[in-house]
Parts: sequence; structure tokens; C-alpha cells
Amino acid sequence: MLALPAIPLLALACVPLVGWGLRRAPVMAPWLAALPAALFLLVLTTPDGAMFSLHWIPTLGVELAFRLDGLSRLFALLIAGIGAGVFLYAAAYLEGHPLLHRFLAVLTLFMAAMLGAVLADDLLLLFAFWELTSLASFMLIGFDAHRAEARRAAQQGLMVTVAGGLAMLAGLLLLGDAAGTFRISAILAQGSTLAAHPAAPWIVVLIAIGCFAKSAQWPLHFWLPNAMAAPSPVSAYLHSATMVKLGVYLLARLNPAFEALALWQGLLIGVGTATMLAGAVLALRERDLKRKLAWSTVVALGTLVALIGIEDPLAATAAVVFLLVHALYKASLFLIAGIVDKKAGTRDAMQLRGLGRRMPITAAAALLAGLSMAGAPGFIGAFAKDLLFTVQLGVPRLLPAVALLVNAAMVVVAGVVAARPFMGKPMETGGVAKDPAVALLVAPIVLATLGLVFGMAPHLISAAIIEPAAGAILGRPTGIALGEKQGGTVVMTMSFAALGLGLLMFLGWRRLQPTLAGQTWLDTYGPDAGYGRAMRAVSAVAVALTRRVQGGSLRGYLAANLALVFAGAALVLVARGGLALPLPGPWAGPAQLALAAVILAGALAACRLRALFGQVMAAALVGFGVGILFLTLGAADLAFTQFTVEILAIVLLVAILARLPFHAPDARRAPERRRDALLAAGVGAAGTAILLAVLSVPFDPFITEWMGKAAVPEAKGRNVVNVIIVDFRALDTLGEIAVLLIAALAATVLLRRTGKPG
Amino acid sequence: MNWTLALPEIALACAGLVILLVGVIPGRNTFFGCTMAVIGALLLAAVLVLGQPEGTALGGLYVADAFSGFMKILALLGAALGLVLALDFNRRESLDRFEFPVLALFATTGMMVMVSANDLMAVYMGLELLSLPLYVIAAFDRDNGRSAEAGLKYFVLGALASGLLLYGVSLVYGFAGTTNFDRLADVFSGNGGVPAGVVVGLVFVVAGLIFKVSAVPFHMWTPDVYEGAPTPVTAFFAAAPKVAAVALLARVLLGPFGDLAAQWQQVIILASLGSMLLGAFAAVGQRNIKRLMAYSSIGHVGYALMGLAVVSDEGLRGLAIYMLIYMLMNIGTFAILVGMRRRGRAVERIEDLAGLGGTDLGRALWMTVFMFSMAGIPPLAGFFGKLYVFLAAVQGGFWTLAVVGVLTSVVSAYYYLRIVKVMFFDEAPAEGGLDATTPGLAAVTATTGIFNLVFCLYPAPLLLAAGLAAAALLG
Repeated sequence: MLALPAIPLLALACVPLVGWGLRRAPVMAPWLAALPAALFLLVLTTPDGAMFSLHWIPTLGVELAFRLDGLSRLFALLIAGIGAGVFLYAAAYLEGHPLLHRFLAVLTLFMAAMLGAVLADDLLLLFAFWELTSLASFMLIGFDAHRAEARRAAQQGLMVTVAGGLAMLAGLLLLGDAAGTFRISAILAQGSTLAAHPAAPWIVVLIAIGCFAKSAQWPLHFWLPNAMAAPSPVSAYLHSATMVKLGVYLLARLNPAFEALALWQGLLIGVGTATMLAGAVLALRERDLKRKLAWSTVVALGTLVALIGIEDPLAATAAVVFLLVHALYKASLFLIAGIVDKKAGTRDAMQLRGLGRRMPITAAAALLAGLSMAGAPGFIGAFAKDLLFTVQLGVPRLLPAVALLVNAAMVVVAGVVAARPFMGKPMETGGVAKDPAVALLVAPIVLATLGLVFGMAPHLISAAIIEPAAGAILGRPTGIALGEKQGGTVVMTMSFAALGLGLLMFLGWRRLQPTLAGQTWLDTYGPDAGYGRAMRAVSAVAVALTRRVQGGSLRGYLAANLALVFAGAALVLVARGGLALPLPGPWAGPAQLALAAVILAGALAACRLRALFGQVMAAALVGFGVGILFLTLGAADLAFTQFTVEILAIVLLVAILARLPFHAPDARRAPERRRDALLAAGVGAAGTAILLAVLSVPFDPFITEWMGKAAVPEAKGRNVVNVIIVDFRALDTLGEIAVLLIAALAATVLLRRTGKPG
Repeated sequence: MNWTLALPEIALACAGLVILLVGVIPGRNTFFGCTMAVIGALLLAAVLVLGQPEGTALGGLYVADAFSGFMKILALLGAALGLVLALDFNRRESLDRFEFPVLALFATTGMMVMVSANDLMAVYMGLELLSLPLYVIAAFDRDNGRSAEAGLKYFVLGALASGLLLYGVSLVYGFAGTTNFDRLADVFSGNGGVPAGVVVGLVFVVAGLIFKVSAVPFHMWTPDVYEGAPTPVTAFFAAAPKVAAVALLARVLLGPFGDLAAQWQQVIILASLGSMLLGAFAAVGQRNIKRLMAYSSIGHVGYALMGLAVVSDEGLRGLAIYMLIYMLMNIGTFAILVGMRRRGRAVERIEDLAGLGGTDLGRALWMTVFMFSMAGIPPLAGFFGKLYVFLAAVQGGFWTLAVVGVLTSVVSAYYYLRIVKVMFFDEAPAEGGLDATTPGLAAVTATTGIFNLVFCLYPAPLLLAAGLAAAALLG
């Protein structure tokens, strides 16, 4: 079964070849369409249920696993089939563009990623391809990089889909953990047991966020119309026919596992319906051909998501049929919009008139696609519409009314995009409108015609494509063949009502559009503006945060570090009941008390004095005081080390300070001084508490006693301190002497050096 | 005394002394020769590490196991690559003094001692051997005010951290009666509970170590030092020492204090959360790319600490693999940043990358690979780093960590992708594009870039090594 993994991997391998080859021979660009065509045949001939798996990351249980079933076959066929048309179109559309090779290479990468995503049988593999499609989309939207709106749209699309993707990753990890496997087929084989898992609500919400972002569901729908800044072939391929359906794909794929969950149904139906409504209103409001089509895509995606949420064989069938229908007519209309844009010089639906006489072939293709979109009898669109109404009538409450309104809006969009520009008297503006070259016309004509062909002969696809795909969504065979009459007179009435209402609205659209466009609050408070506000808020938070925690002042950092550590330590000490007073021991003598007073005075003076020299001297007082204290307690060696280090430090400090331009007195203001004093007192108190706690533990005399006992027999010495210094710890002493010597040498060199200029 | 076990460190230290002697030959600039010799010594040490048997030596001060081997190889590789980045830059900026590679070598010796420490005293010695040379090379461009300030700040704060650590060590010793890791573990494994003093000591030790890995709340030195130090120094800081410090933190917490996990786990969770959040949000407003990388490194440490916080085999394996990937994508990114020059002058603002996609597509594409990898976008290596720690967090039931991790990934994706946008979609400034890069930098970029690209194809051997390393530490 090597044909299956070959489908995405072959396409992936072609990416560098395309980029490299077409730069040298751009004339070969149209032949690239042979690649998706070949992949199309490969998908068509691969049997249902084909599987392939290769250990990839064994420690994680992640496998390079692919599987082909009804649902993935439908998607793969759409991707490769529409891909072939779009590649052909793109080669002609961007003919002579200096970056054509790069464009087509990224388009190939996108196709490979899409095929990989829909064929993957492993959640993480699917995720990898999923994110790859977002990246390709980013590069393609920003293709006209000199336009600011294209740059913004590219970044926005990427941000929304990648952010959603990361939320989805969290959901997928939870799902893999709950199911014990990342294999999709194994997860689906567990039936609805997963729906009862305690983490199921989290899984559902996180995965749904990712799918909603990708499939432009309200309120994350705003990036899709902005993505229309991309060249038309990209809009046709990525942003109507394939990529935006990936979210729908994953929802459909996981539907059998979660369909029993009320949250799943409610989320999908609710968000889907909201998306339909929002998209319909915004579509009526729009004048730009491509953006108008984009809003109608939003409507279609909302419809699909809502259909998946409805657990019914008819709904699954409706979803599959509508998905196919929409892909065919919408890709076709986008390609036609591209032709119109190129030939007439504008995409403003208000201005475009009377192109039909000059571009008859284009007009014919547009008419076919438009009729399919409007759901005219005889077209496959009609089946889709009947199925939709039948399903939506079965769900009471809001849905039938919404369906009526939304379908009427779709009729208007079909009319405004596919009929209006070609009717009436020729307009004045724009270039010399005429039918374009054949290469540009093939794809829209074929795609639009397929809508009619499938409408006339539904048996062509019914058993082969529609039923297996719908069965995969439902998790069991649907038993519904396409072409069977659905619904009764009610559906028929509704269908005609929608058509009639749509026609009325279409006729009045010239007056309706300005009224709707006047509702500026839709823009001011819409999610697109919200995205801008959110981005600015993140920046503002960032600036405020860095100003607060990263002022650049060393003293501030020191204060924060000290305060944190000592507060933490004190907290631990108190919380764990470690506060203790030392055991009663020998009391200090008067000499030691006096020394303690000297040390204290030195410390206080170091804080109070303002001149640097004075502070150094006060600190030295502390050091020498401690040294003498050691001496009075009988630790002569410690005392001498302390003296040496102290002398060296003071000499160096004074020598350096004398040569540095440090004459500014302490610049702290009163509140700062108070804060510092508080900090010093707090740290001192915490340190004292810790010290007292340490002293309260009984002293372990093991080492002391051993030294005393071993001094004479082992080292033949009566002075224990001497024995320790020059015998037991002789190596340490050698090290100390060496360090002191090196330090003194370095000090000499430094002091001599600084005497000379430079 | 089984001192031959420490052969890699001994060989490295001896090589350092010899190179130091050769380097002072007067009248000639020995920078290039010394750097090459140091790189050779580092690679030799890496070979010795590969052939190192397992066991403890030097009276239990030193331990060699799969974990130390893994982390040492990482540190040595990071240090060697970091020095390659300095070759051309230091010559052009008149920083080509032979002390630079020698200091780096001694710092690397310190890292190896840290990673192999089996006693709190060895920890301190390794840490200081690492820190002292780093203080110096942070201020290596000593006539430059920013570099001198960076060195001073790092020194003062670092000295404080070392002092805190030492204080903590003395407290632990006072209450537990030993500094040896194995014996400490024995002391703490009893059921009698531990005295409060040990926990207070642990607070100080953890604070000192968190400073070294530059995690919140002891991260404050990082942005200032990263921005002020010469770029190759920043690259060095961000790679090898970070690996060693994270490894040391893991060894200290899971080794002697492994049975006190309940005491330190909350602290590490908070440090991880704080680092991820700060790394994500503070970086957004940055214009200087080195400063941005500083915040980015804080964020990455947060993700790595997530692996430590869950205290599990999977978590530790995630940490090991995260450090490997982090180091290589960081070195790759810095190989590009070090080469950022316009008309011979080093530049370091994000806008300076504008239009790179048009003027030097190859470099822009590699940078894109690194940025996407840092953002954790599959199938690049960075994704797997995040995947492993997230997965460990989910399996351990630490959902807050995983969710915050994902959230901050989104925010950080914003600024990484902004760099990609600047490179491909913004106009190059009027003065023209960036100067051509050097062969050495290009080689480092390509090597690390290819690693980031192909890691996904066959990750099994590296995962196996990381798994063995984790198992060695957790027993």
C-alpha cells in the first residue's frame, strides 16, 4: 500500500523541484497541472479503507499513518481535482510575473499539506499538515507584499489560524491521552465511550476552537474576507474550496466519537447558525465581488458546521452534498471574479455592468455556477438545497427562519456576482473587456459544468462518493442515495419562497446595500476591529510590563531579588514552624558585647553616611569587628584570613575609587531611602530569624571530637588548630595561600597599571 | 581515587592552561589560532565524554551517568558553535583577543563540573568556574558603555545569587550534616520529615539556581546583559551555560532533594508559569532583536521547567529534548544575528531585517525556519520540544501548565512571525540590504537549520538518548 503515503509525500517532494525548475523555465508552468491531475487519478484508484503506517516517534506512539475512507476520499478528490484547474488557471493568471515559480511552489506545498491533512490517520500528523496549510496560506495571502492590506491580512490570517491551531493541539493531546492512542481510526473504533470521559468537554471545546478558527466561524470569521487580498486563484483554491473546509473536515472526522455529547451538538449548531446569519448580513452589505463571495463562503461554512452538529443520516448526506456543490460553484465564481477583475479593471459590483456582450463565454460559465449556487432545478445545487431545507425543518426553533433568510441572501449573492455584472448596458470604465485566453477559462467552465452534470446524473457520484463520505461522518451507513426525492410540499414551498424572496432582494439590492453599509457600528464593534484592539492591547501590556519589571536599574533588581528570596525564606520558616530561639549557652563576655556594638555601629554608619569613602570605611569596621570577634572566640586562623581579605579589599577599593569619577553623593530621594531602609531591616530580620533557628539545633560535635582525638596519634601535634591547618587540611591551606598570593599579585599589577595614563 | 573518570574535565582544563600559555606569545595576534585550539579541545572533550564509563569519583564529588553525558555533549557542542560565531565578529569589532576563547573554555569546564556535580560543594565550584569567566566576557567590549554595564550588572547580581546559593548550602549542611547528594537523599528519604531549616536552605539554593537559568523571578539581568554584551557573547550565554544550568537545576532538585518534591514543586511551577508569561508578553514590544531573544530565552526556560515541574520520567525526557532543540535553534538564530551588518556596521534592530527575503533569500528562509521552530510550528524541531513537555504536563494532570503553555505559545508566535513578516513583506531600507554573511556563519546556520528541518524525519535516536538521560537521573 505505497500509493497512499505517496499521494501527499510525492507532492511534498515536488515543492523544491517546482521552485527550482520553473525559475529556469517559466513556460513550463501550465504543465504543472499534470501533478494534481495524476494525484487525482491516484486517489480515485486507491481502494476504500486503504491503510499505511510506519513507526515515526515510537516513544510517543506517533506514527506516520495514512488512511483513505469515504470522507477523506471526497476531500482528496476535491483538493487534487480543483487543484488541477487552479494550477492551470494560475499559470495563465500570473504569466510573466517574476515570482511565478515561488507562487506555484507554495501552492504545491499547500496542496501537499492539504492532502496530508485529510489522509492522515494520526492526530499529530494531521496537526503538522494542518499548520503547514496555515503557513502556505500566509505566504500566498501576502504574495502582493507591496500592499499594506495584503501584509496585514496575511499576518491576521496566520495569527487566527495558528492560534486556533495551538488551542487545538492542547485538545488533541488531551484526546490522545484520554483515548490512549493518537491513531484516528483507533479513536473512532472506541465508539462513543470517549464522550463519557471526564476530559471530554475540554477536548471538545479546544478542538472546536481550532476548527472554528480554520473554518472562519463566527466570531473568528473576520480573517477570511481580508484574505481576499490574495490573488484570485488562491481565493478560489484555499479560501473557498479546500483550506477553510479543513476545520469542517476534522469536525466531521471526529463526529462519531462525540456526537452523543450535548455540548458538541449545541456548540456546532449554535456557532454554525450564528455564522450563517452573520455571513448572510455581511454578504448583502458588501460591494467588492471577491469579498462578497468570501462572506457567502462564511455562510456555507456555518451551514456545514451546523449540519455536522445535527445527528441525522439526512444531515450527514446534506453536509456532504453541500460541501461538494459549494466547492464546485464557489471555486468557479472566484476564478470568474478574477477574470472580471483583470479584464474590467474593477471588482466593485455597483459599477460592473453589461460585460455579457463582450465576454460571452465568461458570462455563460458565471451563469452556470450562479444557477447552481441559487439552487435552480436541474443543478446539483437543487439537491443540496432540498436536503438542507428538509434537515433544517426537522430542527425546530430558529433554524427554518434562519435557513429561509440565508438562502434568500445566497440567491442575492449569486445574482449580484454571477448575473448582474454581465447584464444591462456596457459600462464606461475599465479596460478593454473581452473573453480571456482559453487557459483561464477551462477551469471555471469545467467546474461550473460539473454542477449541471452531477445534477442531471446524480447516480455518477451517489454510491461512489456521497454515501461513503456521509457514512463516515455519521459513523454508520446512511442508506440515503442522492437523487431520491427529499421532503414534501413544505420543503418545496420553502424552496420557492427562498428563491422568490431572494429575487425580490436582488432587484432591490441597489437600494438595500447602501442602507446596510451605513450601519457603521458593524465595523466599529465587529471582531475585525476587536482583533486590532486585542493586538494593540497586547503591545500595551508588553510595554507596561517591561517598564515595570525591567527598569534597567541595578539597585531595583537587587532590591527585588533580595526581597523575594528573604520573604520566601521567612515565609517557609514561619509556615513550617521553624522559628526557634537558640539553646541556652555560655553568655557573651563584655568584650564581645562591645565588639558587637562596634559592628552594629559600622553597619548603621555604612547606611547613614552619604560619601562613598565613608561608607567603605564603615563597612571595613564591620569586617574588622568580625575578625576580632573570631579572635576573642579562639579562632585565630579565621581571624587572620578575615583580616587579610579585608585589608586587600579596602586597599583595592580605595585605590580604584580614588581614580574613578565617583563624586556624586547619594542621589536617592527620601521615599526611596525609606524603602531601602525597610528592605534592609526586613532582610536583616529574616536573616537573624534563620540564624537563630540554625543555632537552636544541637551542635554535632563529631568532627571536633575526632580532630581532638586524632591530632596526637595521627599527626603528632598538640596544637589542634595547627594540625588542622598544616596537616589535616594542608591542601586547602596551600590553595588559600595560592589564591591570596595571586590576588595580591593582581592587585599590584592593577595598582601599578592605573598609575600610568591609558 | 578514581580520578580518570573525570578525564574530560581534566583534559579540558589542561588544554586551557596550555592555550593560555601559547596565547601570550607577544607580538602576534593569536586570537584565531587560540579559538581553533579551544574548539578542538572542546570537541576532544566531547569525544572523551562519549567514551566515559559511568560511576562516581573523587570521593563522591563527581558523578558520570547518561544524564551528565547527554548534557555535557550539548554544552560542549553549544560552546564550540558559539565560538565559531565569534570568529569573524570579534575580528571586525577589534575584540579579537585570545583571552576570549580561553575564558569560554574555562566557563565550559565549569559547566561540565556543574553537570557532573554529586555534591553541593562541587555544584558551587562548577557554578563559580562558569560564572567568573562569563562576568568578564559580558564586559569584553570594555570600551563600550553598554557592554561594561552588562558585565557589571551580571557580576553584581550573579555574586548575590552565588552568595544566596552558598548560604543555602551551608544551611542544608548544618541541618542535614552532609553535602553529598547520595547521603542527602538518604537523609531526606526517611519518614521523619525534614527540619524547617533544610527547606529554608532549599529556598536559597533554588533561588541561586533559578538566577542561573534566568527564570522568573530572577531573570532581571537577562535582557540587559543580552542586549549590552557583544552579539557572539550573547549567543554563547543563550546556549551552553543555559543547558548546563538547567541540567544542574534538574540534578539538584531530583537528586538529593528528590524526596522533597512536594516542597519545591510549587516553586518550579510558579517559575515556569511566570517565565512563560513574561517571555511571551514582554517580548512583544521589543525593537532590539537581542533583547527580544533574551525574553524569548526566558520563555523557553519556562517551557523546559514545565518538564521539571511535573517530576516524571516523561517530563525529564521532555526537558532533555527541549534543551537540545532549544540550543540548536538558538545557535542558528544567533548565527544570523551575528552576521547582521549593513555597510560593515553591526546592526541589531528588528527593522534592520526588512526586505531580507528580497536581498538574500537563503538567509531569510533559514531565519524563517528558526522563527517557526521557536514558535513551535510543526514539523520543525521546536514543535517537538514543546510537544514533549506539553504531553508530559497533560499526562501528569498539570493542565494549568499545559494551557498556559499553549496560550503563551500563541502570543510568542505573534512576535516570531512578525520577524518573518518584516523579512519578507517589508521594504528594504534605502541604504540597501544587509551585507553578505561569512562562510563560517553560513555553515553554522545551514547545519542547525537542517537539524531543525529533518529532526521530524527520524527523531528516534535522540529521543532514546534523552530517555536514557532522564532514566539515569530518576533511577
